[in-house]
Amino acid sequence: MSLLQVKALGKIYNTKLGMRQCVALKNVSFEVIEGEFVAIMGASGSGKTTLLNILASLDKPTTGDVLLDGKSFSSIPDRELSEFRRKHLGFVFQDFNLLDTFSLKDNILLPLVLMQTPLSEMEARLLPVTRRLGITQLLNKYPYEVSGGEKQRAAIARAVITDPRILLADEPTGALDSKASAGLLGQFADLHGIGKTILMVTHSAMAASYASRVLFISDGALFSQLYRGDETNRTFFDRIVANLSILGGGDIA
Amino acid sequence: MRNGFYFRLALSNVRRNKLTYVPYLVATAVMSGVFLLIAGLLFSKGMTNTPSGDTARMLFAFGLVVYALFTFFFMFYINNFLIKRRKKEFGLYGILGLDKRHVGRVLVWENLFVIGGGIAAGIAIALVFGRLLFLVLMKLIHAVPGSSFSIPPVAYGLMLGLFFFVFLVTSTINVIRVHTANPIALLASEKRGEKDKKGLVPLALLGLALLCGAYYYAWTTEIPGIALGIFFPLAIVVIIATYLLFLCGSIVVLRLLRMRKSLYYRPDHFVTISGMFHRMRQNARGLATICILSTMLVVTVSGTLSLYLGREEMTRGMYPFDAQVYVPKSASQEQIVAYDEALRRIAAEHHVVLSADENKLVTKLPEGEQFRRNNFIWEDSAFVDVPMLIFYDGSFRFDVAGSEDDCLAFIQAVRDRYAESFAETPNLIVSDIYTAREEGYGFYGGLLFLGAFFAVLFLAVAVLILYFKQVTEGYEDKARFDILQQVGMDDHQVRKTINAQVLWVFFLPLAATALHMLFASKIMARMLKTFMLYDWGLVLACIGGTLVAFSALYFLIYRVTARTYYRIVRR
Repeated sequence: MSLLQVKALGKIYNTKLGMRQCVALKNVSFEVIEGEFVAIMGASGSGKTTLLNILASLDKPTTGDVLLDGKSFSSIPDRELSEFRRKHLGFVFQDFNLLDTFSLKDNILLPLVLMQTPLSEMEARLLPVTRRLGITQLLNKYPYEVSGGEKQRAAIARAVITDPRILLADEPTGALDSKASAGLLGQFADLHGIGKTILMVTHSAMAASYASRVLFISDGALFSQLYRGDETNRTFFDRIVANLSILGGGDIA
Repeated sequence: MRNGFYFRLALSNVRRNKLTYVPYLVATAVMSGVFLLIAGLLFSKGMTNTPSGDTARMLFAFGLVVYALFTFFFMFYINNFLIKRRKKEFGLYGILGLDKRHVGRVLVWENLFVIGGGIAAGIAIALVFGRLLFLVLMKLIHAVPGSSFSIPPVAYGLMLGLFFFVFLVTSTINVIRVHTANPIALLASEKRGEKDKKGLVPLALLGLALLCGAYYYAWTTEIPGIALGIFFPLAIVVIIATYLLFLCGSIVVLRLLRMRKSLYYRPDHFVTISGMFHRMRQNARGLATICILSTMLVVTVSGTLSLYLGREEMTRGMYPFDAQVYVPKSASQEQIVAYDEALRRIAAEHHVVLSADENKLVTKLPEGEQFRRNNFIWEDSAFVDVPMLIFYDGSFRFDVAGSEDDCLAFIQAVRDRYAESFAETPNLIVSDIYTAREEGYGFYGGLLFLGAFFAVLFLAVAVLILYFKQVTEGYEDKARFDILQQVGMDDHQVRKTINAQVLWVFFLPLAATALHMLFASKIMARMLKTFMLYDWGLVLACIGGTLVAFSALYFLIYRVTARTYYRIVRR
């Protein structure tokens, strides 16, 4: 059954003084099934970050609606939005967004603390997550003491520790070198392997080739989509690149 | 042509950094304006012509020197503070290919604009408020304004000299700072880590021990003379302790809080405690400085206010009798009788009544003196039935009753007549409470005035630090605010924890100031005893009043600067 339903999303920004309107999204509809790993690709300015912000409930669409487990975002009052976000959504950002004032451990525990989870349960949850991501040794370090790849893994740990329904990632490899990127995408593949639903926005064909399905958006509208099927990363990558060349944008690396 | 380029670049830098430069300029204006006013009052003709002018002038000359030192120190401090924040920008210039030499030149221009602009505004302030302050001062020192007030050229000269010196020193420091740093290091300096430092515990304990020690001595020193002697050493110890406690003690306390997991891992505490770590690491020095400036301000104002309000009591303390005539030791019995007769005659001419109360003497007349007095009344004096003025320890002591004008005329007449009739003993010295009162107005009024000037200086610097702190924190908190929201903290919660932190940071220096003042009050009262001010209630009232007024002002300033802060965070 479909976990996330995106129905005819449209987003229009008014420029200053309302002189001109900027259409960021036009009638975007798709569904994500539980356990899927979906990548959304598009050139910069194509509207993919706007789309992700709406899916993250950080922004509201002008038209259309988003449903998670059949529950409409527009039906949630503003007061409860952050609680909803905390409980059901996990985020990984391009620039990690770890707080420098917390150690990695505290950064990872942050959403649990906000949910007022008992201390014993927090510690019980911490270890399996960090062990899978290989950052158990780094827990007492501060974000500025570790490498970019390690920061991103801590950010993933923070996103999954609440056991969210869906993991949203915005250009998660954007600030990483190719080796760290490959490592990170491997982690995503593992999470996908244990049944996590992941939705990732990227402009890198390499990153997208780890997904089970790739959606292409261009000028704010859904352009096409590719299913991986049984292909290897390599052949899927080639098809993505071929599709990108039709689209006339994107980045191969 | 090339010079024009640096000029324009500097001008646009000042404009672009107006959030920092405008307050700096205002502070420079206040400092230069006040300096000009003090110098102007010191050298003005109006002051020379007043009876208590000499005392006030002496005081102002001393005040001017101290003020110049403070001004130099503060300008130096603020300049360093500002230039450190712009390291990244200098690094960028280096990478864009601007020579260090050229960056230096731009900085000198910027410095010239700001200090020059500040001085111009300072002169304007002095011109606008000069006349008004002159009238207030004249009232305080109890003098009729003589000639009109104008700032003499010598005052301008001194002010320009001081600020030119400040300009030279700060410019040199800025140029050296640019030259000694390399671009990469400059660019990276913003991302300085916040690793937990080691060895904070002993330093925090040292701070605590120093503070307790200083408080103990301040509270228990009873002898006024000793209190006066140890006040400044104790002040230095308290300053050191304040810095240690703000810098190290705060971190140690936060660490202890963080170690208590059940307390730390709760939504509000979690964000607040970690946020306080960050703030104390960044701002502890600024906060300690604010605390010290506030304490100096309260001590100065309450001290000078106590002296001004208690001046009558002090004058009375120093002059138990309205007047006293010192008679040289060589004077014979006959001469003493003649002096006594003359006093009475002059008193009768001026319609004043002389009297003397033996109980006013600090020590009772010893038996011998008593005898001598009686002896010299009945055996050698013609005025047998008239009670004698007290003649004790080589001088006549007596009170004068009559109208204020008659009393003053009487004293003046005694001086004149004695100089005339008893020319053979030129050492007859007449001292009286009337002259002392006039001098007291000059001294304590001038002191209060100077105290107010210093308060303005301390306040200007404290406001500047508070303001820069808010702006810096605003930009940093903006990013933290966004991240916390993305992680699922709601808007209301974020605002609540940020408010809590801001209030903590705001109240910490004020609370420390109040605590310092609590212990300072006792030693201040003891110290003022050396000035014959025994009214401990008055001193306490002055300290309390000043503290309350200062807190209100501080709160007002906080509200204004906090508005800038929230504007940045909510953008």
